[in-house]
Amino acid sequence: MVDELIIKTTNLTKSYGPHVALDDLNLAVKKGATGLLGPNGAGKSTFLKTILGLIQATEGEGTVLGHDIRTEGDAIRARIGYMPEYDALNPDMDAIHQVRYSGELLGMNPTIALARAHESLQYVGLGEERYRKIGTFSTGMKQATKLACALIHDPELIIADEPSNGLDAKAREYMIQTLTTTVKAGGRSVLMASHLMDDVERVCENIVLLHKGKLAAQGAIVDLKAIDREIEIHVWGGATRLAEAMEADGLAVRREGRVMRIGHTDEDTTTRILRCAAQTGAQIRRMHEYEASLEDLFLVIMENLGYEIKTSEDLLGSPALARKVDAPAHMGGGGA
Amino acid sequence: MTETPPVELGPGEYGAEAPVTGQGRMEAAWGSSEGDEDLSDTQMTQPTSTGHVFEQVYKPWQGELNPRWMRNWAILRHHLLGIFKKGHRPWGMPTRLFILVVFLASLSDAALTLLSGLLGEASIHQLWGVSRDNLYGHVLGFFPRNVLYYPIVAALLVGSVISEDRQHGTSALYFSRPITRFDYVGMKFISVALIQAIVVLLTLTLYYLAEIISLGRGWAWILDTFPLFLAAFLSGFLLIFTYTSIGLALSSVSKGKFFPGIGLLAIVLGTKVLAVLVSTLFDREILYLLSPYDCMAHVGQTIIGTQPTYDQYSWTWSLASLVAMNALALYTLSARVSTMEVTRE
Repeated sequence: MVDELIIKTTNLTKSYGPHVALDDLNLAVKKGATGLLGPNGAGKSTFLKTILGLIQATEGEGTVLGHDIRTEGDAIRARIGYMPEYDALNPDMDAIHQVRYSGELLGMNPTIALARAHESLQYVGLGEERYRKIGTFSTGMKQATKLACALIHDPELIIADEPSNGLDAKAREYMIQTLTTTVKAGGRSVLMASHLMDDVERVCENIVLLHKGKLAAQGAIVDLKAIDREIEIHVWGGATRLAEAMEADGLAVRREGRVMRIGHTDEDTTTRILRCAAQTGAQIRRMHEYEASLEDLFLVIMENLGYEIKTSEDLLGSPALARKVDAPAHMGGGGA
Repeated sequence: MTETPPVELGPGEYGAEAPVTGQGRMEAAWGSSEGDEDLSDTQMTQPTSTGHVFEQVYKPWQGELNPRWMRNWAILRHHLLGIFKKGHRPWGMPTRLFILVVFLASLSDAALTLLSGLLGEASIHQLWGVSRDNLYGHVLGFFPRNVLYYPIVAALLVGSVISEDRQHGTSALYFSRPITRFDYVGMKFISVALIQAIVVLLTLTLYYLAEIISLGRGWAWILDTFPLFLAAFLSGFLLIFTYTSIGLALSSVSKGKFFPGIGLLAIVLGTKVLAVLVSTLFDREILYLLSPYDCMAHVGQTIIGTQPTYDQYSWTWSLASLVAMNALALYTLSARVSTMEVTRE
């Protein structure tokens, strides 16, 4: 099941005059939940428009659910559910009629569309609010209505653009839970573009990282996290001596007081740390493998691409940092 | 006198001599004791109802989607039915009321024709009955129909029909579905045109039918006047098409409903006023070619066969001007709609 590809692109390139928005993109997105990450200007929107068949690629080819993105845009859009980031609802309409209309626009019979609209709104938690005008909805309810519009025809792939954007903690939690249920219980696939790493990590098992139109990384989050594997130790006495000894031994050490994180280079790393501790007489009171978050991974990848970034927010909020990119080959990119 | 032995009372029963304290009921209602009851005595034997707990269940759908015509029908239906009932495009109440008023006002000639038939009053029929001039007047008469009725109806309809999709981002709802830009704009065009057709062409047809019914017109009269009716119908079609194309072009360049509505009225009435002013002051009539209304009137007068207002110019000039205006409007409309975004606007 997981090996089935829902999106595949080969040398996909999209240029707007001299500006290359997508540069030789080779992607393989498996069935399941995939996060689409990248700073502003990375090419996420262009990528989404290209795979929806709304704009023509300059070069290369691709398929979505087996349909050619160059010639079968209609067939693709009939089989996917798109949840836009921005408002896409008429504030003067009742939720039930808005969702029903979105089904009719796909070619559903009006009666069936109405029945499915009830089910979809119930599923996203708006069962009791379905006859309310959308203009009176909170941001969370509007996001849920957009999701109901995307789910009305039970699509195989849901493309959710920033689904938890602007939501409070409760609504965000519910949105994440709904997307997770759709993938796990519904057996549907989700391509989720988001700036919120936490949300992506909770819903998705795979990520695709774009930067300046190029593929920076792709694969299972678990596998990619191995890039950033570290061992965390808590030292009592002789921390400085220990840090110096480990650095002299060729280990990468990051230190915050008595807490140090040592890059996991090979299976011998733990032995080397303990040996250094024995030599310097420092006490290691706690030692465990440090599990990186997706945000850590994002930062590491970006640092490897040649940027100095403090947090993902700094990067995502400032396109000026998007200077040059050429993903290292071991991260799935084209190589420097 | 022997004492009566005390009667054994069952639980909840009280003897006749028992004092009225109300305690039993108080016990049942409020539990007025010290609160040291043995709760096992009062435990419910049946399971309590916990009410409905929301359970999120994904329900798959195995149905098949209908082809392109059904999607286009959905757009048409959404806009058209919104005039009459809830649950479709929410046209504003002032728009709906104004359309109703204009519809009824447009039937004034039909009503007076019926009245003349009922009363047998020739003078009323002479004034309002079906004739070459009255058929022209029903569709292209300047006052009040093309000052107070039809342009305002068109302005109210086109005001938000595309601009609202930019304003609310609902264009994403269309273009993330298998709907082409051509279908989108085509169906919006037809929807707005059909609503205007109810006001202009349906009332024209009812007017013609009122004459046939009230005066018992025979086939000879119908054969005689039907070409005139068709010419008026064609003029009405031209009027609706032109107002719709200009109006939708304005709607497509805007994000609100005020600008397209006012813009359409300014173009229709402003150019007409300008042409009249220049004609009056400088005795030059050529500027009428800038006025969509004057051009339509000129073409309409020619095909219906009434006296043309601008008889010193060929009607083909007016037709060419109309074609140019519509081409420009449709070009603007298609160019703007093709740039409408799905991901962000």
